[in-house]
Amino acid sequence: MIPFARTRRSTRIVFAVVVGLLLSAPLLYMLAGSLMSDTQLSIQPPQVIPSSLHFGNYVDAFSGMTQVIQLRSFVNSVIFTVGAVGLQWMLCVSGGLVVAKMRFRSRNVITILLAISLFIPIITTLIPTFIVTYKLHLINTYPGLILPIAAQTGFGTLLFRQYISQIPEELFDAARIDGANWWIILRRLVIPLAKPATAAYLAISVLTAWNMYLWPLVAAEGGSLQVLTQTLASAGTTGQGEITPQNVIFASVVIVTLPMILVFIAVQPSFVRGLTGSGVE
Amino acid sequence: MSNPSLAQVRSSPVAAGRRTARRDGLAAALMMGPNLLLFTVFIVVPVVGGLYLSFTTWDITNGWPKWVGLANYRTMFADPLVWRSVETTLKFIVLGVVPTVFISLGLAMLINFRFRFVSAVRSLYLIPAAMSFAASAVVWRYLFLDGPGFGVIDYVISQFGVTPPNWLASTTWSLPALDIITVWLSLPTATVLYLAALQRIPASVIEAATLDGAGPVRRLRYIIWPGVRYMTLLVAIVALLAFTNGSFDLVNILTKGDPLYATQTLIYYIYENAFAYGLFGYAAALSVLQISILGGILVILRLLSRLVRR
Repeated sequence: MIPFARTRRSTRIVFAVVVGLLLSAPLLYMLAGSLMSDTQLSIQPPQVIPSSLHFGNYVDAFSGMTQVIQLRSFVNSVIFTVGAVGLQWMLCVSGGLVVAKMRFRSRNVITILLAISLFIPIITTLIPTFIVTYKLHLINTYPGLILPIAAQTGFGTLLFRQYISQIPEELFDAARIDGANWWIILRRLVIPLAKPATAAYLAISVLTAWNMYLWPLVAAEGGSLQVLTQTLASAGTTGQGEITPQNVIFASVVIVTLPMILVFIAVQPSFVRGLTGSGVE
Repeated sequence: MSNPSLAQVRSSPVAAGRRTARRDGLAAALMMGPNLLLFTVFIVVPVVGGLYLSFTTWDITNGWPKWVGLANYRTMFADPLVWRSVETTLKFIVLGVVPTVFISLGLAMLINFRFRFVSAVRSLYLIPAAMSFAASAVVWRYLFLDGPGFGVIDYVISQFGVTPPNWLASTTWSLPALDIITVWLSLPTATVLYLAALQRIPASVIEAATLDGAGPVRRLRYIIWPGVRYMTLLVAIVALLAFTNGSFDLVNILTKGDPLYATQTLIYYIYENAFAYGLFGYAAALSVLQISILGGILVILRLLSRLVRR
């Protein structure tokens, strides 16, 4: 009975690993392809492990005729992500405290509005959002890129509300007796205690912002505010009939995606917690 | 901060006087003000304004919208491309969300046990979540390449003696191809959600059932499914929203609605009307249709989940 159970167990582990490799195969293939030469990438049967390594693809992704990644779009992506997530975090942690612990009349209405907004992706309100931004003269500016995304406070506010409402009321009473007002409570009590919620929030929103394609596409029509997702999207399909070699495209995708994959692996538990609200180890 | 602020006075029990209930209205307004201001300007106003806009025509570069009553809606009902893209959108969602739900439950069951490198193996399942639709589009475009001596997927399929389809260039297979990419991107989140539900089922319950002779099918039917059923609604909603977003990114990068409108989802048609033809009023009317469809699907999901619970 016991040896039988053990083989079944190891079969299951092997199966789990094989399925995992299949799921990440497109990524692994992209990584391998980014190190292959043109011929290696196009021969049949396809190479999976490169027979020789060509790190030059990464140089080509940044420079010369084949350049895909402009330094400018890298900087734009960083400004957009840090700006939108940073601002939104401030709005959400303070808003979370308000709807979790403060007593006022319209609290339920606000909470319900925020919850409804979760089901209205920006894509469905793209046209009016664009017009509002346009009428505020913010198209092709960093604020125009950042503010409409930072304004999507529904998810974050409710995440912090959930977490903050579990902080015992006694801690707030004690702080108030010590003479703390709500701002001090926010800074000295809530933000330090809500660190796990902040980690979960950051894990999800940094990924979302870095990977966002649609809003930057319409908010930065001019081009100087292009972010990396747009750079990637236009790689290989230039109007001038020039074709970027696929190995250079793969290298570019790795350059854009690798920071997020590394961040993701580092914060995976927080990401999971943010999605599930708790529970999973 | 030596001066007691107004908020503090108001919130102290003494200032509240005879009424025992503390009132934090002013502090709440100050602290939540910026949040609600942005939320109102960029979410509430667009939702309400979008509805108004759908009754107008507007050349946004000059002047204000002109009221045209139901004209946009009349055009919409007479426009065959609208109904074509609604059909495409629904097909895209059903072909994608249903497999996402079932496959992710299977994956979650597969990695819901402990072994030495479990977290490393789980990472393999979750890493695609770090990819953008744009980056995935570029990678999968190569995997889906057609013709002799090209795509990896075609090579694998032809090893089984099957003639591979033309994927992105085919009216039949382009939409399923986009679904495959979106399912791949949606699985990590869905798997995480199911895994959370699975981990709440005590291992001892499953072991006891196994000892009592319950096979995998009966364990799934009587223990696992009842335990994760409540999560299915959330998984379906999250996948639905991902497919709504993905249907723009992938279509715009990979197919532009081609071939022959086979991948023109409603969202892409809205985008084209606004940003290619400048028909903002008409695009707003189509957005109202899009939100109604999304709302309709949410209601149906909700009702389905109630039915299943009974």
